[in-house]
Amino acid sequence: MSGQDDPVQREIHQDWANREYIEVITSSIKKIADFLNSFDMSCRSRLATLNEKLTALERRIEYIEARLVILSETFTRQL
Amino acid sequence: MPLVKRSIEPRHLCHTVLPRAIKNELECVTNVSLANVIRQLSSLSKYAEDLFGELFNEAHSFSFRVNSLQERVDRLSISVTQLDPKEEELSLQDITMRKAFRSSTIQDQQLFARQSLPIPLQETFDLCEQPPPLNILTPYRDDGKEGLKFYTNPSYFFDLWREKMLQDTEDKRKEKRKQKVRGNDRTLEAEKVPRAPHDRKKEWQKLALGAELAEEDPEEALKHREPNGSAAYHDRAPLYLDGMDGPFSLAALPYSQMNELLNRPGDRMYTRPHDPPPPPPMHPLGDIKPPSMISSSSGFSDSRPQSPAQTHGFSSNTPPPPPPPLPPPPPPLPSMSGSGQRGTPPPPIPPLPIQQQPPAIPPPPTLQIAPGVLHPAPPPVAPPLHLSSPARLQQVLDKGPPPGQLDCTLLPPPPPPPPLPLPGARSSSPCPPGPPPPPSFLSGAVASPLSHSSGKKHAACLPPISDARSVLLEAIRKGIQLRKVEEQREQEAAKHERVGNDVATILSRRIAVEYSDSEDESEFDEGDWIE
Repeated sequence: MSGQDDPVQREIHQDWANREYIEVITSSIKKIADFLNSFDMSCRSRLATLNEKLTALERRIEYIEARLVILSETFTRQL
Repeated sequence: MPLVKRSIEPRHLCHTVLPRAIKNELECVTNVSLANVIRQLSSLSKYAEDLFGELFNEAHSFSFRVNSLQERVDRLSISVTQLDPKEEELSLQDITMRKAFRSSTIQDQQLFARQSLPIPLQETFDLCEQPPPLNILTPYRDDGKEGLKFYTNPSYFFDLWREKMLQDTEDKRKEKRKQKVRGNDRTLEAEKVPRAPHDRKKEWQKLALGAELAEEDPEEALKHREPNGSAAYHDRAPLYLDGMDGPFSLAALPYSQMNELLNRPGDRMYTRPHDPPPPPPMHPLGDIKPPSMISSSSGFSDSRPQSPAQTHGFSSNTPPPPPPPLPPPPPPLPSMSGSGQRGTPPPPIPPLPIQQQPPAIPPPPTLQIAPGVLHPAPPPVAPPLHLSSPARLQQVLDKGPPPGQLDCTLLPPPPPPPPLPLPGARSSSPCPPGPPPPPSFLSGAVASPLSHSSGKKHAACLPPISDARSVLLEAIRKGIQLRKVEEQREQEAAKHERVGNDVATILSRRIAVEYSDSEDESEFDEGDWIE
């Protein structure tokens, strides 16, 4: 009996070990996928914030440039 | 349900069919699973590469912008340091006299078009079945449309919306022209004009926020009553101007009532093309809601510019010419006829009389006054009568003996039809110059209601004349009208082609037409056209 069981048992044990190995691999794959998703989301939110700041800066610079143009023109007029 | 952007491919590791001739099945399963794990890793790496690629592209564009910003700041700092020691006097007047500063408001457009689809979604989309190749039939079509558009058209709703918007801008523009013409006739009301644009802007903003917020209008109506108390006069221009806002200002109310009147439940946008100039609708609306207005006006000594006119009109059932209140259609007829038929009969209540007239066949005696006065403008006015005659004839015949008292010489009907036949009338006589070409593309939509209205009013006198002649004449005139309509439609089609897919320009043009003066409008519109 034990002789019959041994190879079977050995196979079963081996199978369990293999499955655990595969399970470790797949769970780490899932962790990587989760990490990538969260990284993507946080990166996009930061980039969006950056985008807003850049847009605000651009508008302010446009305004300042316009003001300077007016000032310089009025100044050249007076000259 | 969220749309899966990227999925890792072999979803099930060991859901495979094992080959039969295998001794050690467990090992086989293990090996298959490991192979699938490797495939999953490869799709994961592809996923990661795509992800980082997108992030990189965005960051890269930001880096460009930051660099350009840096350069601009440097230049600005240099120019500021150059200016400072030299500047002596600066007058505020010079600064303010300049052209006003306008920052470039770039709006994101076409965000969800096929071209902006992310790559992984595009790949998923490519996995789907293609639609049947109906486009191979396109060369054989007569109307020039693509064959596939009849099966699946992704731009269908956008095209619909764009057509609607462009039509509305045209309508608004023509209303403005008409009101300008009318405004020239009434110089007295010029004082009241400046008030209107302010209200219009507010009302337009309100509308822009959405239909839900339009329910706040009654509150705003209450607020408006007090400041506009001084405007409680019988001026028509502000009424017209406010009436122009009508469809847009009292968003919920007029539309509900308009819809009731027009028997057109549903989309208010669709009712707009059908009420040619809104001023008339405003007043019937005013009459329709007199109880509420009167009750509120009793509480408030001040009232909106419209409500006093409405109560005024309501109290005196013989209202002065232009906006005849709806309930008594006959009284307006003599009054309008009395005013003489120049080219500026207010296109009163074209769709509205439709409903009002079935219950009330216009009383004959008032119409009898008309003939002598109406003769000055017989030819252009005659066509609409003839147009409407068959429709009206049927109704009259259906309703039994027409009031025989109607004078049969009453061919030239009172105002309602004139705007319609004007395009057709132009070919015959240059008589009514007043309302500039009423939107002839409206004529298609409004033709029937207008014809009905005019027909109802005067068809009683027509049956005795001759049906055959009138039918012939009507057909001829319809032909004329149809040709004009086609020409104008071609022009409009050409205009629409120029527009393109630019949502922002379409909307901005529409807004410009609505709440800008004519001068501003022409400036703005020219700029838009140039774009």
